[in-house]
Amino acid sequence: MDKRERYFWDLTGYLILRNVLTPDEIAAANEAIDRCTDQIYVGAPNEGSRDSQALRGTEARTLHGLLELEEPYCDPFRKMLVHPQIIMRLNVMCGTGFRFDHGPWVTDSVKGTEGLTLHGEGEPHRPYVAYHHQNNRMHCGGVTVTWQLTDINTGDGGFACVPGSHKSRFAMPHGVRTCDDDMGVVIQPELKAGDVIFFMDGAQTHGTLPWRAEHRRRSVLFKYADRTSVRTGAAREIAPPEIYWGEELVEGMTEAQRAVMHGPCSSLHSSKLAVDADGTVRVKND
Amino acid sequence: MDNNKFVMSDEEKYFFDLTGYLVVRGALTPEEVDVCNAAINHYAEKIRARSVDDGGLARGSSTLQGQTGRLELTGMLGWEKPYREPFRDLLVHPVVVSRLNGMCGEGFRLDHGPLMIGATAGTEGHQLHGAGEPFSAAVWYHQQNGAIYCRGVTVAWQLTDVNEGDGGFAVIPGSHKSCEPTPESVRSVEDDMGLAVQPAMKAGDVLFFAETATHGTLPWTGKGERRSILYKYASRGVARAVGRFFTPEARFGDWTKTLSPEQYAVLYGPGVHTGGDLPLLKSDGKKTWVA
Repeated sequence: MDKRERYFWDLTGYLILRNVLTPDEIAAANEAIDRCTDQIYVGAPNEGSRDSQALRGTEARTLHGLLELEEPYCDPFRKMLVHPQIIMRLNVMCGTGFRFDHGPWVTDSVKGTEGLTLHGEGEPHRPYVAYHHQNNRMHCGGVTVTWQLTDINTGDGGFACVPGSHKSRFAMPHGVRTCDDDMGVVIQPELKAGDVIFFMDGAQTHGTLPWRAEHRRRSVLFKYADRTSVRTGAAREIAPPEIYWGEELVEGMTEAQRAVMHGPCSSLHSSKLAVDADGTVRVKND
Repeated sequence: MDNNKFVMSDEEKYFFDLTGYLVVRGALTPEEVDVCNAAINHYAEKIRARSVDDGGLARGSSTLQGQTGRLELTGMLGWEKPYREPFRDLLVHPVVVSRLNGMCGEGFRLDHGPLMIGATAGTEGHQLHGAGEPFSAAVWYHQQNGAIYCRGVTVAWQLTDVNEGDGGFAVIPGSHKSCEPTPESVRSVEDDMGLAVQPAMKAGDVLFFAETATHGTLPWTGKGERRSILYKYASRGVARAVGRFFTPEARFGDWTKTLSPEQYAVLYGPGVHTGGDLPLLKSDGKKTWVA
């Protein structure tokens, strides 16, 4: 990762590598996905666009379980997982010992597919995905690596972000989140099949614009984390106290005691405690 | 400071942000202290002394060396009734929950512990460790727009008195924000530049410290026994201990056995207490390999 890439990444919160996959590698990945189109998950209406007018469209389509496909169909994705061009940059972005947190999945959009409201920002701070720079070393808790299997031209839609937002210290305006009034700060990078985009997941404001092109959008997302940050996926499944620590240790614990015994997982929202004025500790229901 | 309430006061936030540690006085009644000590006495035969061979925890420091190793006891949360109960109560004591909500953020969790650290006269110290530089994601301290985000906080309950000059816990105030390397003589306390502080505490007091802060232990010179129970907390999305789901098979399933060594390496679970068993990936841009 050279000085120009480091400068761009630190400044904007994203980075594009061109022509990482060969046409044959792109074709192999697309073929594997074509075999599984009956397993594509179709989201609920407006699940991603929510209250946005600008992002409305038809239901989002995703395909999961790519690393577990039967051979040789899993191979293109397993290669992406530890591709040399990825590893050398994640060692700089996340630090050595970074890990795969969750994913990968394919976003398989057809013309008219809805967008996803922008999310992630520098304020409020979220420790598990935050960006930090100190003494010429950078550190990002969560980085998403997205492989493009089809072209994305200007105006097609797809991935969008707010450059520099990983360093913002003010709350994101609602109009930016929905893209209904984005203040001109949202960009949609042009990408070709075989390109890779890195972005700071959760630190940088990012999301998806509705897909407007005739051809499909196919992007494969891998979610990486630094050595100690934990987000979701397997972490969520093993987080319950009796699984994470073992039934024997937590047997007989109160609800409040169990709350602090959950395993690490940033997407868990049922383990918050509050203290009443009389010192009663209770589980907080958000 | 009016600090024995069930809220974290502005003064406490100021002190913790400034120094990296905080002592809340009188959090336990004498009776509660007695119950904890009685439970430990019940399991006294399980207390183990660390070896001082090969430099011990003093790591060869002439200032920190001692005749005996640190005393340790674990497993309190899983002890049989009624001995486990006081330690389960400490786990979510209102004084702790109210402060950790302010230090780590809501949804904080126990990462590892509890661990009793014990000492008698002549027990060695522990080389100072932790610091703002180099940056450590595992225990990162950050403050932004009035909120504290500390990824790792240790809560140490005092079950015996620690008087000034007795030894025990020591800290370099402000070091959680340091951006320059810690001099070796400060780590060894052989020439601490006048920076190390050893807070006096009474049985029933509770100490919080940011794991980022440079901290350690001075040799115990007190007349009585030192007993401190350490609970290691983390913010919600952070792991230091690797837990039971560290290997790719344990975390994702048996299908991971068919992966290449490089693919397998990137699927290990989170945590930094790996015991040196974590394979690290390298790349020159053309090839990926396990270092």
